[in-house]
Amino acid sequence: MAELLEIRDLSVHFRTEDGLVHAVSHVDFDLGEGEVLGVVGESGSGKSQTWLAVMGLLAQNGYATGSVKLHGRELLGLSPSQLSHMRGVQLAMIFQDPMTALNPYLTIGRQMTEVLQWHRKMRRSDAEKRAVKALESVHISDPVSRLKSYPHEFSGGMRQRVMIAMNMLNEPEILICDEPTTALDVTVQAQILALLNELRERFGTAIVFITHDLGVIAQIAERVAVLYGGRMMEQADVYTLFEDYRHPYTEGLLRSVPRMDEDRTERLLTIPGNPPNLAMLPKGCPFSPRCAYVEARCQQQMPELEVIAPGHVRACFHSGKLGRQETGA
Amino acid sequence: MMEQADKLLEVTDLKVHFTLPGGGWLRNNLILRAVDGVSFSVAPGDTLGIVGESGCGKSTLARALLRLVPVTSGSIKFKGQELTTLDDAAMRRIRRNAQIIFQDPLASLDPRMTVGNIITEPMRALMPELSRTQRHQRVLAMMQQVGLLPSHINRYAHEFSGGQAQRIGIARALVVEPALVVCDEPVSSLDVSIKSQVINLLQNLQSERGLTYLFIAHDLTSVRHIAQRVVVLYLGRVMEVANRDAIYRQPRHPYTQMLIAAVPIPDPRVARQRKVSVVRGELPSPLKPPSGCAFRTRCPWAIERCALERPELRMIGNSQVACHRAEENLGFKLSG
Repeated sequence: MAELLEIRDLSVHFRTEDGLVHAVSHVDFDLGEGEVLGVVGESGSGKSQTWLAVMGLLAQNGYATGSVKLHGRELLGLSPSQLSHMRGVQLAMIFQDPMTALNPYLTIGRQMTEVLQWHRKMRRSDAEKRAVKALESVHISDPVSRLKSYPHEFSGGMRQRVMIAMNMLNEPEILICDEPTTALDVTVQAQILALLNELRERFGTAIVFITHDLGVIAQIAERVAVLYGGRMMEQADVYTLFEDYRHPYTEGLLRSVPRMDEDRTERLLTIPGNPPNLAMLPKGCPFSPRCAYVEARCQQQMPELEVIAPGHVRACFHSGKLGRQETGA
Repeated sequence: MMEQADKLLEVTDLKVHFTLPGGGWLRNNLILRAVDGVSFSVAPGDTLGIVGESGCGKSTLARALLRLVPVTSGSIKFKGQELTTLDDAAMRRIRRNAQIIFQDPLASLDPRMTVGNIITEPMRALMPELSRTQRHQRVLAMMQQVGLLPSHINRYAHEFSGGQAQRIGIARALVVEPALVVCDEPVSSLDVSIKSQVINLLQNLQSERGLTYLFIAHDLTSVRHIAQRVVVLYLGRVMEVANRDAIYRQPRHPYTQMLIAAVPIPDPRVARQRKVSVVRGELPSPLKPPSGCAFRTRCPWAIERCALERPELRMIGNSQVACHRAEENLGFKLSG
C-alpha cells in the first residue's frame, strides 16, 4: 500500500508553569490510502495530541518536532494559511463533542456551504446542492429543510453525522476521528461506525480512529497503535494485536474489558495504579510503575521499539511469556 | 425482623413529569414525561441495574428516588416507609440511609474543599452526634477502605485523577453508613483500566457492608458485571425487567435485543461477523412519545396493535416484558 502519511520521530511539547511537558515522545506512524488506523490509549497517552499536531491544531503553548509528511511533503513548519488550505481538502478531523466544533448561531446549511465557497470557490446554489448530497450520504432525512436548522435542533448522534458530512464535503484523503462516539449511546455509536465504514468504501478515505474503547477498535481498525504516557507501546495489525499481543500494557487493557459474548467472571481483572501524570513521568518506561513484569532496567531506560514480525513492533524489555495462559479460564 | 425485610426499596407506578413553557401564541405548556409509570423493587444486599439510552429517564429516576426532583405521582417505599409524602426534616433522616454517587467525580466535588472536608461534610449534616475526633477517625478509616492514602486528606480533588476522585465520591457517600447507594453512571467517564478497579471496589464494599445498590448506566457490560437484576428503560417506561442472565442470554424485548447487539465486542473476528444493522432510527422526542408502545417507531416487529395499545409489563418465562409480541420469539438469541 502506498504511504499517504508518514510520521517520523514526532514529539509534542507544552510550555507550562511547571516547565516543559512532553505529551508525545518520538512516535512513528504510517498510513496508507484508504487504511483504517486505530489509536488506543487512556488519558495522558498522547493519542489526541499526536493528531492535533498533524493537523497543526496544537494549543498556543504547544509545539511539535520531528517530521509529518503527506504525499512526501513536510507539514510541520507550514504557514497558517498553507495549513488552513490543506485542512479540509486533504485532512479533516472530527471530535468527541460536535457542539464545540459547530457554531450555535449559524444554520447547518450556512456552515456547510461556507466550507465549499471558501475552499472550492463554489457558487452558493451549487454549494447548497452539494451540502444536500453530503447530508444524504450520512443518512439525514429531509436534508433540504435540515439545512435551515441550527445545531441545537439536532440530537447528539445527528450532530456527529452533520460533522462527518461537513468534513466529507471536500472528500479529504484522511479523516481523523478523535473519540467521535465516546459521548454517544451504544446504539448511536453502532450507527456512526457503520456510517464511517460505508464512507470509507465509497470514497476511499483513510481513517484514523482515536479511542480508549477496544471494542470499537476491534470493529473498525485494520492496524492498531497502543500509546501510553506519550510513547508507542505496541503496533500491529488488528488480529495480531488482539490475539498475539506482546506488550504487558496491551495485555492489561484487553483483560480489563469485560466481554458481552463470554461468561461473566466474579471479579474483573484490572491494571493497578493510575494513568500517568505527564508533568511527572517516571524515568524509563512510563508504564513501569503499573507493570506486572517490571524489571530494574525498566525504571532506568525506555526500551527501544523492536520489530517482532513484519508490521508488528513493541517497546518492552520483558522477554518471557505474558501471563495470558494462566488467567484464560 | 421487619415486616418488609424482603424489600429495601419498592417503587410503584412512579411518575415524574416536568412542565415546560410551550411555543406559539397560545403558550400551551408541554409536558415532559421523564419517568412515566415505573415500578420495581430491590432486596437488601442486592444490586439492581437500570439501563437505557440518554433521555430514557434513568438519571431523573435516580434523583426522584432520593427526592432530589419532585415526584408527580406514585409511591416510593424505603424500608416500608413512604417517601413521597415526607416533609424535609423527615427526608433528611432518610438521606443518611440513602446516598448517591455521581457520574462526573470532579464536577461533583467542591474544588475549594480538601478531601478530608469533603468526606466529613455529610457527617456534619447527618450525624451531629459524632464528636470531632470521631469524625476524623471515620474519615481516615473510610479513606483507607476506598484505597486513598492518609496523606491525601489535606489535598484538593482537582489534584487527583478521575479514578481517585471517584474514590473520594464513594467515600463521601458511604461515610454516613447508608443502606442504599444510588450509583448514577459511576464509571462512565473513567479510563478502561480504572473502570474495572472502581467496579471491583464497589463490589468489595457491598459485601463488607451489606450495601444495596441501584446501579444506573448506559454501559451494559458493567451493569452485567455488578447487577443481579436489570431494568431496561425507554422514554421513561420500563421495557423489560429480568435477572441478569435472562436479560443478557435471552433478551425478550426488541429494545433490549437492540441495546445488546449494539455493544462492540473486543474481538476483531467476532466483531466483523456481527450484524449491527439491527440498530435502527433515532430516539423520538420525549415531548412527543409515539402512541401505544414507545419503542414501536424503531421496532422491526411493530404491528398495528403496537400503535394503538400501550403494552403492559407481563411475565413471560422468568422475565417481565412490555411487548405485545414477546411470546413470538421474533428476535435473536445471544449465545454464551
